[in-house]
Amino acid sequence: MATRIRTTRVTLANLSPAQGSQHNPKRVGRGQGSGYGGTAGRGANGQKSRSGAGIKPGFEGGQTPITKLFPKRGFINQNARTWAPVNLDRIQYWIEQGRLTSSPENPITARELLMSGCIHDVHDGIKILGDGAEHFKDPIYVIASRASKSAIDAIESKGGKVVCQFYNPLALRDCVKGRTDRVAAAPTRREDITWYTNYRNRGYISPATLKSLGDLPFVEERWKLLATQLGAWKKQEFDVQKK
Amino acid sequence: MLSRAIGSTSRLALTPAVAYPCSARLSTATVASKLRSSIHHPPPPKQATPIQTPLFLSLTEPFKRGKGDPPPDGNVVVLDPTVFNEPVRRDILHLCTVHYLDSLRQGSANTKTRGEVRGSGIKIRPQKGSGRARLGDGQSPMLVGGGIAFGPKPRDFSTKLPRKVIQMGMRVALSVKMKENLLGVMSSLLWPCGRTKHLVHRIEALGLRKTLFITGEETPHVGLDRAIRNIPSVHLMAADKVNVYHILKHQRLVLDIKAVEYFERTLKKDTPLVPLSKLASI
Repeated sequence: MATRIRTTRVTLANLSPAQGSQHNPKRVGRGQGSGYGGTAGRGANGQKSRSGAGIKPGFEGGQTPITKLFPKRGFINQNARTWAPVNLDRIQYWIEQGRLTSSPENPITARELLMSGCIHDVHDGIKILGDGAEHFKDPIYVIASRASKSAIDAIESKGGKVVCQFYNPLALRDCVKGRTDRVAAAPTRREDITWYTNYRNRGYISPATLKSLGDLPFVEERWKLLATQLGAWKKQEFDVQKK
Repeated sequence: MLSRAIGSTSRLALTPAVAYPCSARLSTATVASKLRSSIHHPPPPKQATPIQTPLFLSLTEPFKRGKGDPPPDGNVVVLDPTVFNEPVRRDILHLCTVHYLDSLRQGSANTKTRGEVRGSGIKIRPQKGSGRARLGDGQSPMLVGGGIAFGPKPRDFSTKLPRKVIQMGMRVALSVKMKENLLGVMSSLLWPCGRTKHLVHRIEALGLRKTLFITGEETPHVGLDRAIRNIPSVHLMAADKVNVYHILKHQRLVLDIKAVEYFERTLKKDTPLVPLSKLASI
């Protein structure tokens, strides 16, 4: 018979843990029969057999440790950004499988790429790259942090639209989580402002980009305001002192 | 499901003498059609889950019938199978019991170390010359009257157990009592007269020795609470204070209707159940 049906009642007296779920801990120094009696697994004499014998981790007995053998080099750029790359052939494959859709009302953003599994981690933002552009067919609407020139050319040749938007860590988190209550911050650093006001990069606060997008649903009013405010540097000049 | 659509107060399916529910209250066509249109059909689940049938349990005679209470003859309580028909898992019950008993431990055992034993730090005898072993102060653990090395210190023995394991333990414990026919439901737990002696006679008459009575009220009925206090092997508890340990410790379990509702509200799972109206045709 396959199972034995218990007829005894379940009481406090006949409870037991699942077989193999609990293991007795090792107790050293409790007699020869345990296998860990006598020296309790420490061997005979020597520094390591003494109580409190903590040798500093990484110490190699006086020999120059491996952490000190080689010279330090360089510095770590705190302002560096790691972009999560995604190529056009991957996006095309995802669209063909039906895992990714794009329309002017719902463009492809970091959120869609992450949820569909096209990207596994957004890092500091998404960069659209142009590898496999020969397989790319459909017009798509993408808002990414960055896009390479070949990717921009490939997308626009098929009738799609690319916009590069500035995402600080909070704005990226809100985009990925789908939160719309907060306003995404504008770029403050000079490098970011000059990059995103440039039409060559399809920056979102470049007047030429906004003109080419026209009145697509995903274009926000705020971008136009920021374009005028943050693009003012293009028309400004230093006062020339008249001698 | 249908009984839920009416309202949670309809714990009882009123039936004629046959202890088999036919939806007598719902026999009118207009009521049935209204209910049919208002029933919300949830989307099909992504994982195949078995569709369970509810359990039926006849009411036990209450201690004292209250005014609005339905008669126990010919009335049946409908119980949720996800709470009262879980498969038996002794290992889960073991985990929950051990967790509860750990939490009860006082953990007040204490010993003095060589630093805490009263005594001076003077060296007991010179290092060399006495022919005996070398010794420092008189509180060393090697010496009689010295401190204890690695002795117990007051500590917290409580352990953590995932909330869902504790909930599963409650479901398994209630199901175990149900399976062993040691679960009863009374319409209400009252004892207005408050005499322990008469309550003892009533308990003997009902055959409810070694029982745990669980009431769903926030505070149990005062008269019953006071009368039951001095009766050995019989206890009364509020449903939110009950543990797996208490359920297993007592042989029998008698619940209030409100206690049944409390357990079902807090412990039930969202699996599909066969609605009551369909059962009559099975």
